[in-house]
Amino acid sequence: MTTYVEAIQKHVVLPLEKATNRIFTQTYNPFYYHGALPNLFLWVLFVSGLLLLVYYQATLATAYDSMKFITYEAPFGNAMRSLHRYAADGMMLFVLIHLFRVWFTDRFREYRILPWITGVILLTVMFVVGLTGYMLIWDADAVALTNITVNLLHAVPVIGNGLAGFFLGADLSGSALITDYTITRILVLHLGIPMFMMFMLWMHYLRITRPVTNAPTGLVFLMLSGLALFSAAFPVVLGEAAPPNFNVALDPITFDVLYAWPHQLGVAGWDPALIWLLTLAVPVGLLIVPYLQKKAMRGQFAQVSKDNCTGCSLCYADCPYEAITMVERNDGSRFKKLSIVDPARCANCGLCVGACAFKAIDIPRCDSKDVLAEIELALANQ
Amino acid sequence: MTATPASDLAPADSSTEQNPPIRIIGLVCERSVELENRLNNDDRLLDDPSVKIITVPCSGIIQPIMMETSLKKGAKGCFATGCRMGDCHYREGNKFLQERLLGKRMPKLKPSVNKHRIEAYWLSAVEYDEFRDLIESFQATVDRVDADDAAAS
Repeated sequence: MTTYVEAIQKHVVLPLEKATNRIFTQTYNPFYYHGALPNLFLWVLFVSGLLLLVYYQATLATAYDSMKFITYEAPFGNAMRSLHRYAADGMMLFVLIHLFRVWFTDRFREYRILPWITGVILLTVMFVVGLTGYMLIWDADAVALTNITVNLLHAVPVIGNGLAGFFLGADLSGSALITDYTITRILVLHLGIPMFMMFMLWMHYLRITRPVTNAPTGLVFLMLSGLALFSAAFPVVLGEAAPPNFNVALDPITFDVLYAWPHQLGVAGWDPALIWLLTLAVPVGLLIVPYLQKKAMRGQFAQVSKDNCTGCSLCYADCPYEAITMVERNDGSRFKKLSIVDPARCANCGLCVGACAFKAIDIPRCDSKDVLAEIELALANQ
Repeated sequence: MTATPASDLAPADSSTEQNPPIRIIGLVCERSVELENRLNNDDRLLDDPSVKIITVPCSGIIQPIMMETSLKKGAKGCFATGCRMGDCHYREGNKFLQERLLGKRMPKLKPSVNKHRIEAYWLSAVEYDEFRDLIESFQATVDRVDADDAAAS
């Protein structure tokens, strides 16, 4: 029976990649580096962000003026802002490609559940980082974005006022206003969450041997020059200054579709409860998705033959999911080490079988000895 | 003793009755080029019945000894098929097989094996036409190698 995942892979993902392979060749196809490219944009964000931080001033009185200085006067200030803005969009774009590709090629469940869960967490916190970035600009759009966020936080049942107070950096009574503390808090969120993201990225890679964290040099140059050209062609501009009273609702404006879509719905007059439901449905839904499919290979994992294992560690070195450990053996064998498979991490892929020259490890669904016998039988019949 | 009608023998012994001798053994990853409805009941390619296909879960499971055995037991050529480089479902299977065949990763293909009789293709599930063309050119290569070997001996 064909699952929806298999159908999408066969009719959308693979034909699309066949076409892109014609342009990029398989060595430089961006779809094959969907996980490495967000990293590239993250580096651009770190470097450009650091340079923006040199001139940025996080106070209500000077935030907008410092942004004006960065955008129009500081050397390369506009370039850094443009790179920072478009790299954030590029990162979200490739993270979404990454998400949909691992989903629709069935690489998101069972032995890959830890990368999937940490990935959903990363996506969620990345969203908050992007959103706070738009607020820091502190023009009229940013102030509107902040006010809508405060309204959305107030709408949360029971703890809403507390959340809004926390976000504003004020008392938790529900009557808090935007102050200097607010903009400091937004900056702390914008700079602090990426540190948490580093920790999550480490967990994201934890069960993966040799993760592909860098795209090939040619693709890196292509992406960076594309980003630079786009920044030069569409340099960012600073919006109008917000009116002196920051706590009043402003006229509807257009926000970034990737990061501020819940706020766009708020501007469109949606009920805050509905916006929250929709926003939370994304991560919660993504966390549920892996469990909706039947397990592909329940309870199957690579089997080691104690008699044949020489402890050579080739399977240990080649396992792509860190499922194999080499342990000391004291069962009277003349070999010093034995390969042990962790069933929960084993993908049942057989890469260890290809690495073994001693017929010591095999997966139940395809025994290497059976393959050899099949070859011999086929050729013996003629 | 009554002679068994040939028609009764046919289903049990179809490989020798209808199929030509095996020239090429193909070890094919089940996630690379899709061969559903492309094989007969003896796992020969419908487009070229002298090619016998053995399906494996990933090209990374293929041991060089499997390809060496194919040649030693009488096949004229042996190829492996994995997914596109960069798109292995299990991340590194095709890369590792390639390195083994090129002698860069243990266990390696024996240096004594005639490399012209060994090929590896990296194709996605939707690339059967490319696969058929590659098999066709592999057959031609094997023909040339056979002619060379005959001339040398």
